[in-house]
Formats: sequence, structure tokens, C-alpha cells
Amino acid sequence: MKTKRELGLFNTVIMGLSGAIGFEIFVLLDYAYFHLAGSSIVSALLLAGLINLLIMFSYCELGAAMPEVGGEYTYIKTAYGGYIAFISGCFRWLASVFAAALAAVCFTQQLAYLFSLFVPEIESFMLAQMPLIAIAVVIVLATSEIKGAKKPGIFIVFAFIAIFAIFIASGLLRGLIPLEILPKQPLEGLPGVFAATVYMFPMFFGMRALIASAAFIKHPGKNVPKGILLSALLIIPLYASIAYVATGVIPLEETRPPAPFLNLAAKEIMGVAGGVLFAIAGMVASLSALGTSLTVQSSIARGMSRDGYLPKVLLSIHRRFGTPYVAIIAGSLFIMVLGAIGAVEFLGYAASFGSLLVFALVNLSLLKLRKKEPYMERPFKTPLYPFTPIAGVIMSVALLVFPMFLRDVNAASALVSGIGLTALVLITYYLRMMGRHRLQIAIGGVGLGIGVSFVLLTCLVEAGIMSPIFPNIPSYIMLFISVISIIAGILNATAHG
Amino acid sequence: MRIRRTLTVIVGIMQSMIAVLIVIFACGIYFNFFDIQTSLNAAVESLYLHILALFVFGSFSIISGLFLVHEWLEYDKRSCAC
Repeated sequence: MKTKRELGLFNTVIMGLSGAIGFEIFVLLDYAYFHLAGSSIVSALLLAGLINLLIMFSYCELGAAMPEVGGEYTYIKTAYGGYIAFISGCFRWLASVFAAALAAVCFTQQLAYLFSLFVPEIESFMLAQMPLIAIAVVIVLATSEIKGAKKPGIFIVFAFIAIFAIFIASGLLRGLIPLEILPKQPLEGLPGVFAATVYMFPMFFGMRALIASAAFIKHPGKNVPKGILLSALLIIPLYASIAYVATGVIPLEETRPPAPFLNLAAKEIMGVAGGVLFAIAGMVASLSALGTSLTVQSSIARGMSRDGYLPKVLLSIHRRFGTPYVAIIAGSLFIMVLGAIGAVEFLGYAASFGSLLVFALVNLSLLKLRKKEPYMERPFKTPLYPFTPIAGVIMSVALLVFPMFLRDVNAASALVSGIGLTALVLITYYLRMMGRHRLQIAIGGVGLGIGVSFVLLTCLVEAGIMSPIFPNIPSYIMLFISVISIIAGILNATAHG
Repeated sequence: MRIRRTLTVIVGIMQSMIAVLIVIFACGIYFNFFDIQTSLNAAVESLYLHILALFVFGSFSIISGLFLVHEWLEYDKRSCAC
């Protein structure tokens, strides 16, 4: 069925803004300010916005050339085929799930803060019950998604812009002295600024919503690039100004305050009313983002299911409400577990890493398609090709690596989880595509290799040539595990079909 | 054939169990249950690499072990059909 193109430039910009203005600013500034970059979060935000804009050029070209439904999944599939598209789809799904969990945690934080303003005694109870509240929020939102709840209209975008404008204007009128905030050194030096850039990167991700809706935009060749550029030019200064005002109001103390940073700044500038206003805005933004993420993750899961990569049961539609209830429930279960953990820093990095990998793949797709399909109609061409997409790939990969230089535990945990999930994704793909018997033989061969290597390593350690990884674990345990691995490898490699 | 069948189920179950223990061990190191990081005397700078290696090896071994158990179950089904 052909989709109807009815969105003009104004609506396209609003769509980009509604995707980008979200809950992230309410939850991600804290850690970046108090632990990573100090008052340099303003520079980190500007850098994140500019890198996002650089990456978005590739999105513009691909979105204008292929304005079909599917967004990055379609571009990567056209360039590299199913395998890489499947991986990108999985990472996009994971990024949505992590972002949804972060939204649930943000909601609980804002709720606890709102209660603390009126009934301070209840705050500690609320904070202790955060996992349960996060789970309850996901259940309620998932139920309303299954029932086919309507999304908030564009009025919410204007409401947020108005709230932020009042905050910035009140802060500037209150009298910020630029000299107060500019001379402060970043907490962790330049790597800290880069780590903060990575950490706050999800604030700009939502702009992709515009690309996903390219199929509904009039004259996509002109309006998609214009929409992205205009929304980026509005959102980058807006966020940088918010961070500038907030850092000018709340001093960088040694201990991080228990309440959300932006709420504290709003309370400082506008009194209790400001704190309440920002808490309500934060909760509305979180609920809206959670609803959107539930829809996005379910549509990605259904897309991959339709292509045969995931079980067909995910395509099931609810008889009464006509919504993909199985895909929504499946994603909600993951979101509930992640939301109950409540680790904001981990979730922030994890959402960022998943999306950065997809960004790198989209830029690579652009490079590949320019060679593979030179005569494809391209209403918008990325400026300074091939430097722009190459810079996009380099920046995406570099942002993945930067926090490691700081030995940031949260970033390391997110990266380890990401690599583990990648392994799981690859195994799922091979299980689905290769057939069990061939995979069993392959696993047998690898198992045999690992077992023999372990025996060799144990011998080297025993001979004193190598130092042991875990000195307190006896070598006979290693030898036993190696022998089991070798026998299992032989049995798997010689399995009958 | 009978020896292979017996060996398949024993090694399969053993490998899966060891793999689950390895994954639990990796989780133990990650969350530092009972101050396990100190008692293992492992180098802190490469700890995450070791945890990753344990997770990958553990997950891989679980799949390998389950393949063997699945193969044994298929043998069982075939012999029942005969």
C-alpha cells in the first residue's frame, strides 16, 4: 500500500524537534556534570550536537534517496544485505529498549523529587521503591500501548520549548556571571569532556524520528535535509543554553546532590514552582518517550520477524485492539528488568553505544551505496563526500572508545554487555540461517580449538613461562575444563545430521 | 554407537553445568560477591577483559553442551521409533 505524503517543512521540523526534545536532558546532565566534565558539559553538548549533525548528513542523503518506511534498517539492507541489516536492527532494538528503561528510571526519579518537595519524609521510601515503580510504569504504558493509546500531539513540543525558554530567560535575568563558570577546569580533563559527549549523545538521537517518517513527508528530497538541519540548529543551542544556565546556578560541589540536577537548578531560579514544573515536565517527557520506545522496539522486532530473522509469533496482532501485543509484551519484559536495575549511568552509555554502532553502519552504507548504486536518484547529496561519512564512521567508533580511557566503570559495563549481546545476536542469526547441524559442527571445531589452547596455556603456566590469570585457581581445574571442552568439541564436530 | 550415546549425554550435561558455573563465577567477579576480586588476586586493569572472556566461554560452552544433550534426545527418539 502506498503511503500518503502530507507533511510539509514546518511539520517536518516539528517532528525532528518532538523526537529530540525528550526526557534525556532531565536525567543525563547529572553524571556528566558532577563526574565527567564539570561546567564543560556545555562544550560537550555542543560537540555531541555537532557530531550528531555530521552523522545526520548521511541520514539526509539516504532518507531523501530511499524515503520508504524502515529508515536505517532499509538503508543498511540495501547496501549490505540481510546479515548486517539484522545486526543493525538488533542494535537499534537494544538502543530503544535501553532508552525505554532509562525513561522509566527518569520517571521514578522525577516522581520521588516531586514528593520530596511536599512530603520530604516520603522521599527515602520512594527512592527505595524505585525498581517497583519503574516496573509498574512499564506495565501501565505497555497496557496502554496494547490498547492503542494515542500519542501526545505537537502541543507538547511547544510546551517544552516554552518551559525551557522561561528557564533560560529567568536564569539569565537572575544574573549569571560567565566568568564564574568558564574558568572551571573539566573534572577529568579532555577525556572527561569526550566521555560526557558520549554520555549525553542520546539527547540528540530522537532527531532520527524525522527520517523514519520520511515516507509521509512531501518533497522528501528537499524537506528531509532542511528539516534535519533546522531542527538541529534549534535543538543544539537550546540544550547548550539550558546546560549553561544550570551550571551557572548549581555549584560544582564534591558530592553529587541526591535530587536531579536540572530540577535543582529550576528550583533555584524559579522557586518551588520551578521544581514542580520541571518535575511534571520530566514525568510527561519520560512517559511520552517510554510509549514511543515501546512502539519503536515493537515495529523493529516485527520488521525483523517479517524478514524471517525472529519468530513469526512477534507479528501477532491483538484481535480487539489491532496492536502488536506479543512484540510489545516481549520488549516490555526486557525494559522492566533493565528499569528495575535503575542504573542510570549504565543505561545512558548502553543506549548511546547501540545507536553509535547503527550510526557507523549508516555512514558505511552511504559509502557503499555511492559505489554500488552510482546512478541512484539522490535529491540531496552529503557535502564534502567522502570526508563527511568517513568522519561520521570515525567519530561514532571514537565515541565508543573514549570513555574507556577514563576507566569509567559504567562505560566498561555497557561495552561488555554490548559485546555479550552482539555474540548473542550473531549466534541467533546463525542458528536461524545456517541450520542446527552445520552450526553444531562449527561450534564443535571452535570448542576443540579452545580446549587444546587451554591445555597449552596450562602447560605454559605450569612450566613458569606464563603468569596465571587467576593465581588462586589450581591448574588441574583448568585442565579438567579443557579436557571436557576437547571431548565435547570432538562429539559436536562428528555429530550426525 | 552406544558408547557415543552415553558419552554424549555425560559430556553434554557436564559441559553445560561447568559453563553455568563459569557464568555464575563471572557474575560473582563482576558484582564482587564476598570480595571475590581480592581473594582471586586478579589484576584489576584486565578484570573486565577476563570477565568478558569468561562470559563468552561460558555462553559458548552452554550452547555446545546443549547441542550434545539435544543430540542424545534425538538418539533416544530414534530408538523409541525403532
